[in-house]
Amino acid sequence: MEPTTTRDAWQQACARVESSLRADGVDLIATAASLEDLEGRRVEFLGRSSALTLLLKDLKNLSLEDRRELGPRAQELKASIERKFALRHAALESDADGAALLKDAVDLTLPSLRPPRGRLHPLTTTLHAIADIFQRMGYSWAEGPFAEDERHNFSALNIPDDHPARDSHDTFYLSGLPLLLRTHTSTVQIRAMEAQQPPIRIVCPGRVFRHEQIDATHSAVFHQVEGLVVDERVGFADLKGHLQTFLESLLGQGTKTRFRPSYFPFTEPSTEVDAKCFFCSGAGCASCKHTGWIELLGAGVVNPKVLSNVGWDPEKWSGFAFGIGVERVAMLLHGVPDIRDFYVNDLRFLNQFDEDLV
Amino acid sequence: MKISSNWLKAHLDFDGGAADLSAALLKIGFEVAGVQRLGPQFSGVVVGKVLAKDKHPNADKLAVCVVDDGAQKWNVVCGAPNVAAGQTIAFARIGAVLPGNFKIEGRKLRGVESQGMICSRAELGLPKDNDGIWVLGEGPTLGSDVGSQLGPADDVLEVEITSNRPDCLSHRGLARELAAALGKSLKPLELPREEPTGGTFPVRVEDAAACPYYSARLIEGVKVGPSSDSARRRLEAVGLRPINGVVDVTNLILHDAGQPLHAFDADKLEGGTLIVRRSRAGEKLLALDHKTYDLPEGLLVIADERKVVALAGVMGGTQTAVTESTTRVVLESACFLASEVRRSSQKTHLRSDSSYRFERGVDPAGAAPASARAAALIVETAGGRAGAAAVVGAPTSPNSEIRATAARLNAILGATFSADEINRVLRAIAAEFKAEGDALVFRAPSWRRDLATANDLAEEIGRFLGYERIPYRLGALAPRAATLTPVEKTSRRVRARLAALGYAEACNYDMLSEKTLAAARLPAEGLPRVAKPLSEDWAVMRPTLLPGLLKNAAYNLSRGVDAVRLFEVGKAYSQKDGALVEGWRVAGLLLGPVLDARWQSARAPRAGFADAKAAVEELLAGGALTWAKPGEGAAGRWVCDPLFHPVNALRALLDGAPVATVGWLHPRAARAFDLEREGAVLFEVNLDRLAARPAAAARFNDFSRLPVSRRDLALVLDKARTYAEVEAAVHGCKLAELQGVLLFDVYEGKNIPDGKKSLAVRLTFGRADRTLTDAEVAGFVEKIVAALGARLGAVLRG
Repeated sequence: MEPTTTRDAWQQACARVESSLRADGVDLIATAASLEDLEGRRVEFLGRSSALTLLLKDLKNLSLEDRRELGPRAQELKASIERKFALRHAALESDADGAALLKDAVDLTLPSLRPPRGRLHPLTTTLHAIADIFQRMGYSWAEGPFAEDERHNFSALNIPDDHPARDSHDTFYLSGLPLLLRTHTSTVQIRAMEAQQPPIRIVCPGRVFRHEQIDATHSAVFHQVEGLVVDERVGFADLKGHLQTFLESLLGQGTKTRFRPSYFPFTEPSTEVDAKCFFCSGAGCASCKHTGWIELLGAGVVNPKVLSNVGWDPEKWSGFAFGIGVERVAMLLHGVPDIRDFYVNDLRFLNQFDEDLV
Repeated sequence: MKISSNWLKAHLDFDGGAADLSAALLKIGFEVAGVQRLGPQFSGVVVGKVLAKDKHPNADKLAVCVVDDGAQKWNVVCGAPNVAAGQTIAFARIGAVLPGNFKIEGRKLRGVESQGMICSRAELGLPKDNDGIWVLGEGPTLGSDVGSQLGPADDVLEVEITSNRPDCLSHRGLARELAAALGKSLKPLELPREEPTGGTFPVRVEDAAACPYYSARLIEGVKVGPSSDSARRRLEAVGLRPINGVVDVTNLILHDAGQPLHAFDADKLEGGTLIVRRSRAGEKLLALDHKTYDLPEGLLVIADERKVVALAGVMGGTQTAVTESTTRVVLESACFLASEVRRSSQKTHLRSDSSYRFERGVDPAGAAPASARAAALIVETAGGRAGAAAVVGAPTSPNSEIRATAARLNAILGATFSADEINRVLRAIAAEFKAEGDALVFRAPSWRRDLATANDLAEEIGRFLGYERIPYRLGALAPRAATLTPVEKTSRRVRARLAALGYAEACNYDMLSEKTLAAARLPAEGLPRVAKPLSEDWAVMRPTLLPGLLKNAAYNLSRGVDAVRLFEVGKAYSQKDGALVEGWRVAGLLLGPVLDARWQSARAPRAGFADAKAAVEELLAGGALTWAKPGEGAAGRWVCDPLFHPVNALRALLDGAPVATVGWLHPRAARAFDLEREGAVLFEVNLDRLAARPAAAARFNDFSRLPVSRRDLALVLDKARTYAEVEAAVHGCKLAELQGVLLFDVYEGKNIPDGKKSLAVRLTFGRADRTLTDAEVAGFVEKIVAALGARLGAVLRG
């Protein structure tokens, strides 16, 4: 082919290349039927002896001015053709793969294979959720023995021997030992106060025992989280602030609460704390026994007698204490109707609960 | 305690219904557990008479009756078996509304028009007395309203009175509390003037400490009959059965004023003196509940010259009870020590409304007026002449004074109540309260023995002025460091790791049955026991957590769950030198397929010793771990050992001290727990020993980033040789370049001589500063093969 030397001729040649990409209005690249077909057309349009390659070579015959103008246009034309080829190539390749790999098809509906997945017991997650909120408020974890003496379980807590308050603490005594199974974790408060000096801020989570007939809402073994704060100038208002913060952390910001007067021998004044029913928003439902409120905590200002009992000066120190039942919270939050299910350890039950509660 | 709204309102003006009353009580600390509406909950029911009863033409069990309602005769179809002509009955006319908004309309029953309904008590919402219709006695006028004859409607509140407030265990007591809280006055109580017209009955108190006050009043010439309708209604409202006009008065006064009383038939008291004394060996009491109680020696009793007639403050005897034939009554009103009554009640397992109040504390000043009121009421109901009370002792001394300031009370509450408000509350509780400048001088009335300290007064202020007025305070307490105990830190790590290994956490009771222990091959002797277990299933404190997990596994297996991976963190108990020892453990159990991949291979790999061993290694990672046979040398004997397979179990020692056991379940235990088909592998770790190790953050260990060289060796050696010996021989070469030994095959059988086995191990070599040459690696391998040959007689497989 004769080299193109004039600007006009070059431009005409360029237009011819562009129009050669189509035949009867059909895009020859986009309609290549196979990878082989496409390769043939690539040689035709982009090969060493293609019109486009020659055209690019002929650029050198043009004036510097023309080259500056037409050069980039030619490069752009080449790039656009290459893009078209790449696009078609990818499409043809994936068609070819699809056909070739069809024979490797497996049944993707077969059940998934999973490594065994462990879970923490819902009572553990609930207990941790409760205790961890208090930890974030500066309460240290404290523990004590499950088998306790009368002093730590009762008398040091201002529950004297012949007091009717003991009636609500049906107690397991151990044969031949001066011990009982603790009926509440308030025992740990006494132990902690005996072991250190004020101030103190502790949370005492753990297992407790009551000699009660077992039914859907009573278990002879259950768990509590109790807390104790003793410091200078602590009053009922601090109890309200802390427990409100706790309940909002557990149940959500803006949780409405109600502090009702109540009685515990080891606190004075005493209170029971209800949260606005989080199932019916207070309208009344089975969960709140149609009262609109759910009782969650018992609490109060530490009875000065308890401080005196451990040798702390009640004139200088004051505090508050509280307790919450773990099973009750777990039953409410997870909708478990029967407390006994927590102690059967049926894997169909245990596997329903995830690690996280809040 | 049951509180009748009508009865309460006899002592206090209170505008409002049961809901308002409940709200007012809740606000001052008395929860109302329920409200029961008494009285007619129906309308349009009148007294009627059955004039005739005929068979229903189309139904065997129905009758067609003619009922006269005083104005008109009606045809009524009735299905009750006891309906008969001549009966006076409750007739629901057309238009009547029965409980549950059930409207009575005229309608056809099996083809016969029924113009109303003959009612049973149940249909009227009244306690049932038989299975048929309610047959009224003679008397009520035909056509009169049945509802109005049942007395006025009433609400009965089930009020929960906390044990510190015995003064509220009566209608007047609770009314007094409400009056104080609401700033109202109680309606005055008219006390009868003492005008003794009869004789006295002598009393002797042998233990004045236990019975500081005793009064006996003789009422002669009574004619005992039923109580008035209004008295009966009050008693029924609080759940009591009316007995007779005298006994009912004692119950009325108990529920009205809170003072327990007792009435004796004077003619059945032998010897003419009432004696308050201690019970003697062998004495019995046939009590009013018709049960005979063997009285242990030393309980406080009331006796005549011959016999015990009452367990003081608890219950009287039937022999001396007031009956219809009684003409002379001795009325007891006394103060018994709370601890005495509590002891008597506990020793005899006998509880009563009286003991419940005495145990909690009865107002000592209330005994005398209660006696006067009761005597007047008895005379009013049953006639007769009341004498002066024979009195021994005096009510106890007044409560001691509390001194406080408004500032002190506000500090306890964290509140800013004004001195005026505080004074108002204290005056409402104790009329003689005075404020002397800043000092508040308070003496609790005789019925408020619970008020003894400034904190007690602060509670009163908070209750009456409202806990909702106390602010939420957060700023006063500064942030503090919050720590976990070593055991909690360790058990969190342990729980997270076992959950990551696929174990679900179990939670079992701390008590076991002897049967479960025996099934687990563990001796029950010497273990701590519960004195009075709920049942034999929970009698012995568990010495290990494993039997609980075995029970859980058997339970799950029997319910079709065949892959069991459980762990538990809890306490185990033992006794040593007469003292109880409790310690934290973590135990685990594995049974069944390791992976739920049954569709991939018919028999998926089953959990075995190595799986359980992995858990223990994971838990003990970070220390120098060695293994020994349980019961040998440093391994020692552990209480859980008999539960494990006698051969296929190991003790783990951490830094030389035994800390865990892992192994197969003993085949006999497997049989006892119904686990023999699968068998189970178990482990138990002493968590306290783990927790005792100093906790430290993981330390970084540098390692070579250069490529490594690997060589595989197939060894043939005696079957008795263990893998541990192979590893020890390899490590014995002390090659710094050896980075790892990995066992990848164990084989016995074809191509391996009898008594031999093949172990295939992969050795990894490398250096931190450069890559190794093939010649160097070959040298290392040669050295290792030589050592294996020399120490174990191992040869390379040809």
